[in-house]
Amino acid sequence: MKSLRRQLTRELSGVLAVLFGLALFGLYLVMYHKLTRSFDAALEARALGVSALVEQENGRVEVDFSDKILRGFAAGRARHYFELRDTRAAMIARSPSLQESLLPRPPVGAREKALYWNLTLPNGRPGRAVVFLFRPKSADSRPGAVTMLAELVVAVDRKNFDETLGGLLAAVAGCGGLLLAAVFFVVPRVLRRGLVPLAQFGELAARIDAGSLAARFSAEDLPAELRPIAGRLNDLLARLETSFERERRFSADLAHELRTPLAELRSLAECALKWPEARDPEADRDTLAIAVQMETLVTRLLTLARGERGQLLAQCEAVALAPFVAAVWRPFAARAQARGLRVELAVAVAEAPADPVLLRSLLANLFDNAVDYTPPAGEIIITGNAAGKLQVANTAPDLTPEDVAKLFDRFWRKEAARTGGEHAGLGLNLARTFATAMGWQLTVARECGRLVFTLAAEEKRNGF
Amino acid sequence: MRILLVEDSPRLSRNIATALRRTGYAVDAAADGEEGLWLAESHDYDAIILDIMLPKRDGLEVLRTLRARGRPVHVLLLTARDTVADRVTGLQAGADDYLVKPFALDELLARVQALCRRAYGTKQTKLVIADLEIDASARIVTRAGRPVELTAREYQLLEYLARRRGEVVSRAEIEEHNYDGQVDPMSNVVDSAVCILRKKIAISDSSAPLIHTRRGLGYVLEATA
Repeated sequence: MKSLRRQLTRELSGVLAVLFGLALFGLYLVMYHKLTRSFDAALEARALGVSALVEQENGRVEVDFSDKILRGFAAGRARHYFELRDTRAAMIARSPSLQESLLPRPPVGAREKALYWNLTLPNGRPGRAVVFLFRPKSADSRPGAVTMLAELVVAVDRKNFDETLGGLLAAVAGCGGLLLAAVFFVVPRVLRRGLVPLAQFGELAARIDAGSLAARFSAEDLPAELRPIAGRLNDLLARLETSFERERRFSADLAHELRTPLAELRSLAECALKWPEARDPEADRDTLAIAVQMETLVTRLLTLARGERGQLLAQCEAVALAPFVAAVWRPFAARAQARGLRVELAVAVAEAPADPVLLRSLLANLFDNAVDYTPPAGEIIITGNAAGKLQVANTAPDLTPEDVAKLFDRFWRKEAARTGGEHAGLGLNLARTFATAMGWQLTVARECGRLVFTLAAEEKRNGF
Repeated sequence: MRILLVEDSPRLSRNIATALRRTGYAVDAAADGEEGLWLAESHDYDAIILDIMLPKRDGLEVLRTLRARGRPVHVLLLTARDTVADRVTGLQAGADDYLVKPFALDELLARVQALCRRAYGTKQTKLVIADLEIDASARIVTRAGRPVELTAREYQLLEYLARRRGEVVSRAEIEEHNYDGQVDPMSNVVDSAVCILRKKIAISDSSAPLIHTRRGLGYVLEATA
């Protein structure tokens, strides 16, 4: 499994190791240069000292071997060496330390400036040499006197210098190793500590399941980087909780809707078996009513399930709304009158594409609810405009905005108790399913103490 | 024994009430929470069968109100809600028992009987007064080993007196616990019932009288010393 911490540890350790390596290598190079330059400066000073002992007179060049500067060049000490040649490379003089041997010839090149190079000394040890051209001082100080050029090569033992450089390299490498170890020790720990909030966040998230959807992440305790995630997760949890709650309510409601008629049926049968002599004449009527109620419930649930699966096929045709609505309303008129409701029916002449069977069922559902739930002396207003938009409004003083939001929930009813079997709380859900199947839209709003259902064919954009 | 049944389904309410009456209980039925609460507060019931999802007032609210007002009546919640959480909520609200719909009628009757037994502080199912034996679980009465045939209502009256044996039980108490609201309060139904019961348990001329009248006070069931 991909781990953010492992990946960060790997990358950060790698980058830090390379950076430290480069820094130490740079430091070593600088030190190497500085040391070499100071070594070369000492070599040059020694060579200049030797050159100062060289004199020329009448075309002859001589070295004053008696000076103490040349003690290091004496035979037997074998620490420093020099060779003095003319411009044609013919030997003029050389240090006693060379005895019979010669220094390796310097690399070919210009001699205007001093040239330094490494070589192997006659005694086989590593050495460093400098070569330059110079004009030995002349005893003849007359102006215009002819003087000649000489080439001086001075070589010294560099073993100590190499050892110093080796020590420096070892120190740098040691520091590098220590730093590398520190990187591999510190980086994972720092990252682990730094990522603790992320791990805690992950643990919190892992603890959330279907039973704890009410849990929320507290953004205040989280680092800024995690806050947007916590916010989104909280939103998601809220939506999940609502949807789970709806599903739970649906299951509980469905159980209730089925359990109550089953209990009625069972108690009826048990009473009849226990006391056959006192059979209630209403029992058979009750049994039938219960069967019809359960059948209606099952049919509606099946229709809803088909609608949700998109299996409800509407066969739309042009329906003249005014006579259609009037015909659907007719069976409800007597009930409305009996309850003392004021009814206003005003549907304009219009045609709309609809499936007559589904539209009839849909309107019947709305009318049924309106007639049963409008309080006595309330009013029902059914209107339709020329564009084919229908509205069914009825007095509903008790409904709150929260109730309106739940109207289309399956099994929802204002009164939690399900008295009687006439309304199962599926009608509006079914009505909306029918509307959707026909390509219509059924919406609800609460306006001035009235509940207003609006039914309209969905607008088709640009003829599509 | 007098039972209050609060159930909003009229068919179920009718069936349960019939079954309870046939078993000998006096039953008052209410169809919503408000009526149920009013009845529960105005009568001394031996047990209440209470639905949870009720119009006007939720069954749990009715139960909590009763408990808050110190009514110790035994309550059986009868509901379609079947989850553990629902049962726990119901029992925590003060219910004594919980039964989920659909239910077996016999189980409901047995639970109601158990609640009524508890109402008199005893779990005994066999009551013995001299040579009179009452088996409360089988609802069988014997006197000196011979069975006594009683109607359900008569049996209930006898069991009620037996559970309060040695105590003087007033006519009003007998009426309150054994007759529902359908009985005319001005009638002498209690006296007639006691009279019939006396005759039925006096199986022979040698049977000692067990139900005694305390003039102006009521009746007492006890073995004469």
